[in-house]
Amino acid sequence: MAHFTDVAARAIIRDTYAQIVPGSRTVADRLYAPEELEGLPKAPVDLALGVGHPVRHARLRSGEIVLDVGCGAGIDTLLAARLVGPDGRVIGLDMTPAMVERTREHAAIAGFGWVEVREGLMEAIPLGDRAVDVVVTNGALNLSTRKSRALAEMLRVLRPGGRLALADLVVTEALPEDVLRSAPALAA
Amino acid sequence: MLTKKVLNVGFEAIVIEERRSVGIDELAHYPVFPEELVEFLRRAIPESRHDELVWSVALTARKPSTPEGDTHGA
Repeated sequence: MAHFTDVAARAIIRDTYAQIVPGSRTVADRLYAPEELEGLPKAPVDLALGVGHPVRHARLRSGEIVLDVGCGAGIDTLLAARLVGPDGRVIGLDMTPAMVERTREHAAIAGFGWVEVREGLMEAIPLGDRAVDVVVTNGALNLSTRKSRALAEMLRVLRPGGRLALADLVVTEALPEDVLRSAPALAA
Repeated sequence: MLTKKVLNVGFEAIVIEERRSVGIDELAHYPVFPEELVEFLRRAIPESRHDELVWSVALTARKPSTPEGDTHGA
């Protein structure tokens, strides 16, 4: 990450994700159970970009308030909304305006009026302290150049006793320099 | 490294829920990995690492319930 400034990295990531076109549902089919995907709008399923299933591990309950950090096209936001129900609330957060719009659209199509989506940075989450019961994040933290700052923000917005469910990619052995300097690899 | 960061900012009760290796073939399914990028990775990374390039880790953690748990962005 030190090969790019914060500003440059965000610009690369924002541009990449703004231009992304839906793939197949291969990623979603691998990460989620068929019954979980049933009934969801097609677009967020085809645009699933996560690396795990933090919503499952979050063990969400009816009425909870959930923040989805780096919501992308919203598949985890929608799954969370289904689980917490209309007595709960789900806030999707993404720094890419195109993804914010997509998640809003997908939540509206799904009829989940208790979903709101905000544009913002995970390193400066636009929520007050102790605002949510649960934070979920799926494959987003590795895109941050300030991971500890992002995690501290997730802690800040959780109520005491609140839960974090996170899925991400970690590198256990250094990648070649060519890869570390690659802008497309950074965004991916 | 990830669990250490989570712990260091103030979370507790960290549980690794899932951990699995991810290779280039799996990354190729993601639309953020266009064909050119996948081919670049195949060339740039030793073949011995192609099947276990990175690890997908899922964890859960909890914010402490005590007032000291409110670190206000430490």
